[in-house]
Amino acid sequence: MLPSVHRGILKAAVHTLRTRGAPLNRVMSICDGVPVGLADAETIFALSSGHGRCGVAVVRVSGPASATALRSMAGLTRSLPPPRTALLRSITEPQSKEVLDRGLVLWFPAPHSFTGEDSVEFHIHGGPAVITAVLQALGSMPGMRPAEAGEFTRRAFQAEKLGLTEVEGLGDLIHAETEAQRRQALRQMSGDLGRLYQDWSHKLKRCLAHVEAFIDFSEDELIEDGVLTQVDKSVCDLQADIERHLKDERRGERLRSGVQVVIAGATNAGKSSLLNTICQRPAAIVSPIAGTTRDVVETALDIGGFPVLLTDTAGLRDSPDLVEREGVRRARERVEQADLTLVVVDCAHLPSDAQEAAAFLLAHLKSILPETAFPPTRCLLVLNKTDLLHGDQRQKLDWELRRVCGLPPVCLISCHTNEGLQDFVTVLHNSVKTLCGDPLSGAPTLTQARHRAHLQQCVTALAQYQQYRDTDLALAAEGVRLALTSLGRITGRVGPEEILDIIFKDFCIGK
Amino acid sequence: MLTKKLSTLHSFLLLASRRAGHLARQQYDVIVVGGGHAGAEAAAAAARMGAETLLVTQKIHTIGVLSCNPSLGGIGKGHLVKEIDALDGLCGRAGDWAGIYFSILNRKKGPAVWGPRAQLDRQRYREFIQAELLGTPRLTVLEGSVEELQVTEPNPEEPGHHRVTGIRLANGSHQISARSVVLTTGTFLSGSLFMGQTTSPGGRIGDAPSSAGLSYTLQERLGLRVGRLRTGTPPRIVKDSVDFSLVEPHLPDKHPTPFSFLNTHVRCKPEEQLLCYLTCTTPGVERVVRESLHLNCHIQQDTKGPRYCPSIESRVLRFPGRAHQVWLEPEGVNSDLLYPQGLSMTMPPDMQLLLIREIPGMQRAEIHTPGYGVQYDFVCPTQLSPALQVKSTQGLFLAGQINGTTGYEEAAAQGLWAGVNAARWALSMPPLALSRTESYIGVLIDDLISRGVTEPYRMFTSRAEFRASLRPDNADLRLTLKGFEEVGCVSSLRYQEAVRVRDSLQEALAALQTLTLSAPNWTKKLPNIRISEVKTTSLTGVDLLQYRDVSFEMLASAFPECLSRFTEFSQRLKIEAVYRFHCELQKKEIERIQKEENMALPQDIDYFSLPVSLSQEVREILDRFRPSTGKRREDHAETNQTIRRIEKRSCVQEMHLYLSEMTDKLPCKGVCIPQNVQNNKLKCLRTCAIFMFYIR
Repeated sequence: MLPSVHRGILKAAVHTLRTRGAPLNRVMSICDGVPVGLADAETIFALSSGHGRCGVAVVRVSGPASATALRSMAGLTRSLPPPRTALLRSITEPQSKEVLDRGLVLWFPAPHSFTGEDSVEFHIHGGPAVITAVLQALGSMPGMRPAEAGEFTRRAFQAEKLGLTEVEGLGDLIHAETEAQRRQALRQMSGDLGRLYQDWSHKLKRCLAHVEAFIDFSEDELIEDGVLTQVDKSVCDLQADIERHLKDERRGERLRSGVQVVIAGATNAGKSSLLNTICQRPAAIVSPIAGTTRDVVETALDIGGFPVLLTDTAGLRDSPDLVEREGVRRARERVEQADLTLVVVDCAHLPSDAQEAAAFLLAHLKSILPETAFPPTRCLLVLNKTDLLHGDQRQKLDWELRRVCGLPPVCLISCHTNEGLQDFVTVLHNSVKTLCGDPLSGAPTLTQARHRAHLQQCVTALAQYQQYRDTDLALAAEGVRLALTSLGRITGRVGPEEILDIIFKDFCIGK
Repeated sequence: MLTKKLSTLHSFLLLASRRAGHLARQQYDVIVVGGGHAGAEAAAAAARMGAETLLVTQKIHTIGVLSCNPSLGGIGKGHLVKEIDALDGLCGRAGDWAGIYFSILNRKKGPAVWGPRAQLDRQRYREFIQAELLGTPRLTVLEGSVEELQVTEPNPEEPGHHRVTGIRLANGSHQISARSVVLTTGTFLSGSLFMGQTTSPGGRIGDAPSSAGLSYTLQERLGLRVGRLRTGTPPRIVKDSVDFSLVEPHLPDKHPTPFSFLNTHVRCKPEEQLLCYLTCTTPGVERVVRESLHLNCHIQQDTKGPRYCPSIESRVLRFPGRAHQVWLEPEGVNSDLLYPQGLSMTMPPDMQLLLIREIPGMQRAEIHTPGYGVQYDFVCPTQLSPALQVKSTQGLFLAGQINGTTGYEEAAAQGLWAGVNAARWALSMPPLALSRTESYIGVLIDDLISRGVTEPYRMFTSRAEFRASLRPDNADLRLTLKGFEEVGCVSSLRYQEAVRVRDSLQEALAALQTLTLSAPNWTKKLPNIRISEVKTTSLTGVDLLQYRDVSFEMLASAFPECLSRFTEFSQRLKIEAVYRFHCELQKKEIERIQKEENMALPQDIDYFSLPVSLSQEVREILDRFRPSTGKRREDHAETNQTIRRIEKRSCVQEMHLYLSEMTDKLPCKGVCIPQNVQNNKLKCLRTCAIFMFYIR
């Protein structure tokens, strides 16, 4: 299932993976100092396809003046085209009637458009001159202005075409660089994650409504005693559900922001060579001198559709050199934060006996990985320089080390001859895949640190319910209320009136 | 306090006739129309504030009448009674005077939701209220019917389209002028009574209907939007005709807890309290309801009735096949009647008799007065300010059922606050609002004016977001101090008592805090308590008090020298210790809301000329709706969808942010905004406002 190494599953990808902001910043950045479209009066337009020379460019217009723009620029004086149907027209300058281009126009009347407003799309030829001319023509009409970054989405959001999680999903979709990221973002945008949180929020609302009914009405009314037992169960289940969701080991977030893979090991083991071999370019300086790499070298990769941030570190050794000591400190720091550590060992240093070799490797791992990383599940042992082994020594070592318990997966490679590299990439791909999970199967995964924080508050608040359930129902209810508020920060707030509505739907209440 | 009241009661009643006989003056600061729960509190509060006040009511002897159930307080409502008392209102003390069955509901569910409640002796309650009012300095009571409101041009210095100048009484052109008027007409505004297929005008059986002139002034002259609601009352049952062996008696609390912070005991002796009885409906009841439906025109109409206190007809129709509770409540020490709570009905009297005889214990029961339904106009309360003043009419205040609420306590709470503000208006003081973060009264008023009502509004504890802080036990700390220092409606006697309580509680908590021992030492002092903490941790007295089984008395007997002088406050200290942490948690959210509440939007802003990007439609709605504050309200129930859309878009808040920016730079009144104001900054603010709503 893995395509050949050289067919580009190891696309050395751009560095932008790193530069993308934290999730919350993204949403906030939409509003940083940018005018917003509460603007019922304003019509916005922008080039919606990418910049640069291309076959077709799409210019999108949204707002009340869209129809006028369409009429005057596509020469449609009498009637508008049928909704959502492509029409080939000459596109003209509204005043001079000079033909700018010939292209497709599409008419999306409100509310059936992305933004929920009247919208028009011009599909024109993608030359810079054509695009500039069309944008200038649009800008010359009254009530029209160029859209700010993200403004179409913001309008869609305000028209309640998208929920907050969907907006975040859309943002991710636009920024998705790898296949798996695209799938996860699309899934979030289609509302899967939103629905999961909505569902929890709905359950919590009912819990709160039932506790509140028990507080406000049970003295006068025949509120069944079983009500609270039901709430107990729901709260328990919800707590378990949310905790399970939180214990996804950050799979979704990892997929969103890239898996941190760190190469570590003793000096001169070939760490930088490994980095260069994986990237297929000389990203790090390689030399036979021990201690060549002193700082952290990072590169972003797409491995079988998963985003990986590969980091090369300084070789771990005690050094009197201040600069190198700092490099080693940074290396250890990176290893501690890593999702996956590739421990590189020079084969030539291994004892020839397999048992001794295993003991040596284990001790070596202990010197590199932090204590918390044991047993070493998030680690691959890379035995480099197999080209230096004689004859069948390589096979024997491979065969024998596989039978040793307690060692992480072992890969024997030679960065010099590329021997064993393909197998190593397969192992790496599988590890990364496990770390990210399959974005399409099972429950939607948590993608944003912001969601995680709110969900954690939610779980803590539910514990308050348990704590006070038998001694003070008002404080127990307060716990459920807090949990609902935390969840509401992701899905939208819940007011007291809504709780009362549920109470009256679910119970036979009357003084 | 109580005994003094008893001795002076009769002399007050004598005074009443004298007061009512001749009207001393033609000019008052405040006129209160209506003598129900809202009117009584309004008149008393206005007079306490120092305003010359006139209370106009149809009959003096119906002031303080309990038109429906003979009880006060309950869950949520009890909070209101405590708060009214904390602001020196009447109903708490009246309840202590007239109560004949005291109990605290929700006793097991935590002190934040305790519901102090009492069955009342109707006669005693009325007497107390009348004596209080007639003995209040600066308050005159006048029998009469108000024909119309006197309205004139507004004071241009203040927002509003009209200004009220007084009232005109029926029978003749007798006019009385006042700077402010409080309307508390209850169910009398275009009220009609329903029983079976007969309908007659009126707001309560046995009382004359109010004049159509008032309703006309409100709608036609002042242009107020009104809606219609309905309510009902059950038939009264002859006590001797009930077989008490078939109903379940319910006992009151052994030690009655007074409503009022000023009382240490109630008038009724614990052992003299009366009993309540519980019975329930049967399938026969449902049958009678169904058979009489065609004779029941009240139930056939779709005017909104209270969801919370439905008639027996709507209960069995909505939830058929179940037994519904019916409480038989005493009407008074000397009364021969019982009040069957849960049996409000509007069918013809003969069918009513058939119905109640289907209920266990009432097979031979007799009806003294049949039940009936009332439909009445209410003024959509979104047209009111947080001071309960009609936004468009200077000096006109509304309180009680006229604002769409149900219940004595809700009415009294509004009455008090409307009275306070009517007096403040008359005395040229700025209006005051109570925050929903500091009181149930604030929650009530805020819900009314910002959400409006679609059915009669009743208080529940679940309406208060900050329930852990707004407890019945601390209403005095929350309101009495403010009531004296800022509002002016609290007597210095009550204030001094509240200060003493506050200081003692603070001292006691400080003493508990300094009482620090290690866990084993605590175990030595309190051998019966299991202390789970590890040996090395040291615990304070406050920590210990949070233990479920530790009471303040236990600590006081272990450390008599420093704690025994606070045993008077044992219960309050225990509650404070347990709730302290949770109240601290709420503080931040409370501060945020208070900040929003304090961002008052000027009422005279011109939404049409605001240089913000708003459609004409939105401008028109804002102009009509005139939000009072920049508060975000995503759950606004105004049916107009567009308003909801705006609300969702936090337009109000945006508007506010903009204005708060502007008002820093411009004179506050009559905002006049230059066209070229820092457009960019404005846009940022708007964006933030919208995203705050979603991200917060």
